[in-house]
Amino acid sequence: MLRVSTLTRRYGARVAVQDVSLVIASGEILGLLGANGAGKTTLIRAAAGLLPPDAGTIEVAGVNLWDQPVEARRRLGYAAEEPSFYEELSADEYLAFVAAVRGMEPKGARERAHALLERLGLEDRCGEPVHRFSHGMRKKLSFVATVLHRPAVLLCDEALEGFDAAGALEAKSELRSLAAAGSAVLFSSHVTEAIERLCDRVVVLHGGRIVRQLERAHWGAPERGPSPLEREFLTVAAGANP
Amino acid sequence: MVAWGRGARKGARKSGCGGEPLWIESMSSMTRARDATEAPFRDLERRLTRRRWAQLDLRLRVELVALALIVSGFLFWQARAPLDGLAHRGGPPAVVLAVAVVQVILAALAGVLAATRHARALRVGPPGPEWLALPVAPERLARHLAWDARQAGWAIGVPAAGVLAAAVGLIPAAWELALVAGSAWLLSVSSRLGAAVGQAWALGAAERRPGITPLACALGATSRPRRHRLRAATWSRTSPLWALVRKDIQLTGRLSAVARKAATAAMLWALALLAWGLPGEPALRHSAAFVLTLLAAASLAEWLAVLSGADPFAVLRGLPVGLAAVWGARFAWALLGLVLVVVGHAMAARELSTHALQVFLVWSGAATLGVATLGVNYGVTLFPRADLAQRLLGLALGLAVAASIMIPLSGWVVLWMAVIHSARRLTHWHRLEEA
Repeated sequence: MLRVSTLTRRYGARVAVQDVSLVIASGEILGLLGANGAGKTTLIRAAAGLLPPDAGTIEVAGVNLWDQPVEARRRLGYAAEEPSFYEELSADEYLAFVAAVRGMEPKGARERAHALLERLGLEDRCGEPVHRFSHGMRKKLSFVATVLHRPAVLLCDEALEGFDAAGALEAKSELRSLAAAGSAVLFSSHVTEAIERLCDRVVVLHGGRIVRQLERAHWGAPERGPSPLEREFLTVAAGANP
Repeated sequence: MVAWGRGARKGARKSGCGGEPLWIESMSSMTRARDATEAPFRDLERRLTRRRWAQLDLRLRVELVALALIVSGFLFWQARAPLDGLAHRGGPPAVVLAVAVVQVILAALAGVLAATRHARALRVGPPGPEWLALPVAPERLARHLAWDARQAGWAIGVPAAGVLAAAVGLIPAAWELALVAGSAWLLSVSSRLGAAVGQAWALGAAERRPGITPLACALGATSRPRRHRLRAATWSRTSPLWALVRKDIQLTGRLSAVARKAATAAMLWALALLAWGLPGEPALRHSAAFVLTLLAAASLAEWLAVLSGADPFAVLRGLPVGLAAVWGARFAWALLGLVLVVVGHAMAARELSTHALQVFLVWSGAATLGVATLGVNYGVTLFPRADLAQRLLGLALGLAVAASIMIPLSGWVVLWMAVIHSARRLTHWHRLEEA
C-alpha cells in the first residue's frame, strides 16, 4: 500500500502541495481530482520519487521512499502525464531494458509486454523507434512499462489521456485486475467520468491541500463496461480491423 | 513587460490565411508583408538575445567568461612568441599579414558553423512555434533562422581576440585597431555568407513541389521519416548495470551527437597509437602519442558526460537503479579506456626502454582514468544537464592544461582535485532534482 504523511512541497515561495496525508490500501483504486495547478502532478511526482519533498514521508509497500529509494521503486510503477523515453530505442527494446532493470524473468516479461501491447493495439509498431510514436501511442507505451512488473503501488498521472476508446477500456480493465490482485492504485485525472467509472474512493485537491474525500457511495455506481458511444466506436474499430 | 507594438499589429493584419499563401502572392504584397513583419522579428531577436543571456545563472556566466579568458589567453600565449619573432625578422607588416591570415581562417570557421547550423535548421525543422501557421513570408523566416545560426559564429571572436591581443605592441596602434575592425567585419560577413551557403545547400536537398517555392517546401516539409523496424529486442536476465551498459551501446549507435563523441575518442586513440610510427625524433613521437592520448581521454570523458545526459530524467529516476549501477555502468567505460590505452601503447611503443615504457603507461593510463572519471562524475551529478557537465569538464581540463604549462606537473593536482571534488556530490544522486 501507499502511505503519504504530511507531505509538503514548494517551488520557491509557491507552495504546490501542503501537508497532504493519504493512505491507499492494497486492492484500492484512489482517484485524485483537481483543477489544473491544484498540485496533483507534484503530489504524484513526489510519491514516485522524482521530487524530493520539503517535508513529510512516503512509504511504498512498507518501504520509506527516500530512505531506501531503490527498494521502494522496485514496488512502484509510475505512468507520467508527459512520459519520456529513450526515443531512439524501439518500444520493444525500451520494455526489455525496463524489465532487465526491474530484474524480471525475461521470458515472462516478454510475454506479458507483448500481451499488453496487443491489447492496446501497439503490437505491430513495437519494433519502431519511440520517436515515431504519436502522443496516444507514447502514453500507451508508458502505461505498459508501468504495469509490466505488476507493481504493488501504481501511480497514474493522467495516464489514460490520449488513449483511444478501445485502449482506454483495456487499460481500465488492466488497472482493475491489478487492484484485484492487491495493487494500490493512485489515479489522477481531471476527467471526472474516468474517475467515476474506475475508482473506489476520491480525494479532491485544491490549492495543494486535500479539501474533500468521497466514497463511491457519493456518486453511485456507474456502468463499468463501455458506454453506448464507446460500444459504437468498438463496433466500427472491430469492423475496420477484424 | 511585453511590448504590443505597432509592428506586431501590422504583422498580424497581414494574415494570408483567407487567401493565397504569402509565398505565391505578388511581389508588391510580399514586400509589404516583409515590411510588416520586420519590426516584430527584430524585437524577437533582441528579446531572444537578452533571454538567452538571462537564462545563464551567475555561476555559469562566470564559468563561460573564465573559459573564454583561458582560451584567448592560451592563444595569446601560443601566438605571442612567433609574432615577436616575425616582428624582428619582417617588421610590423609581417605581423599584420600573419594576424590577418589567422583572422581569415577563423572567419571561415565562423562561416562553416553558420552554414551547418542554418542548413540543419532548414532540414530538420526550425525551432520555435509553428512558423508556417503564422502570416510570415518564408523569406523573412529564413532570415530569422539565418540570424539564429549566425549567433554561434560570434564564439569565434574569443580565439580571434587572443590572436589580436598577441599583436599588441608589435604593430602601430592604428594598425591594431584596423585589424580589430577588419576581424569583426570579416566574422560578420563570413557568417552571413555561411548562412547563405547553408540555405542553398538545404534548398538543394529539399523535395520540390509544383507551385511552391523551394524555401517554402523546405520549411513546410513534413519531416516524418519512413517507417522502419529496428532489430528485435534482446530480453535477457541481467543486472541493472549491464542493462544500462547495453542500452548505452544502443543509444551510441543511434544518436548521432553521441556517436560522434565516441567516434572522435576512438579516432584519437588510434592516432595516438599511430603516432609511434611517425618519422623524426623519438621525442616528437613520444610527445605526439601522449598529447593524442590526452585528447582521446578528453573525448572519452565528453562522450560519457553526453551519454549521461541522454537518459530521460523521469525514466531513470523512476526505475529501481541506484548510484552503483548508474555510476558503475559509465565507469566501466573509463576502465575499458584505461585498458585500451595501456595495452595499445604497450604494443605500439616498442622503441621505448622498459623503464620509459612503464613511466609512459603509468602517465597516460592515469590521465585517461582521471579524465574519464571526471566525465563520469560530472555526467552523473549534473544529470540531466549534460551541457553544463561538458562545460565544467572543459573548464577543469582547460585549467589542468594551463596549470601544467605554467608549472610542470601541477595539472595532475588540478585534475585529481577536480575528480575528488566532483565525487562529493555522487552520494546525493537520488535526491537530485530535475533542472
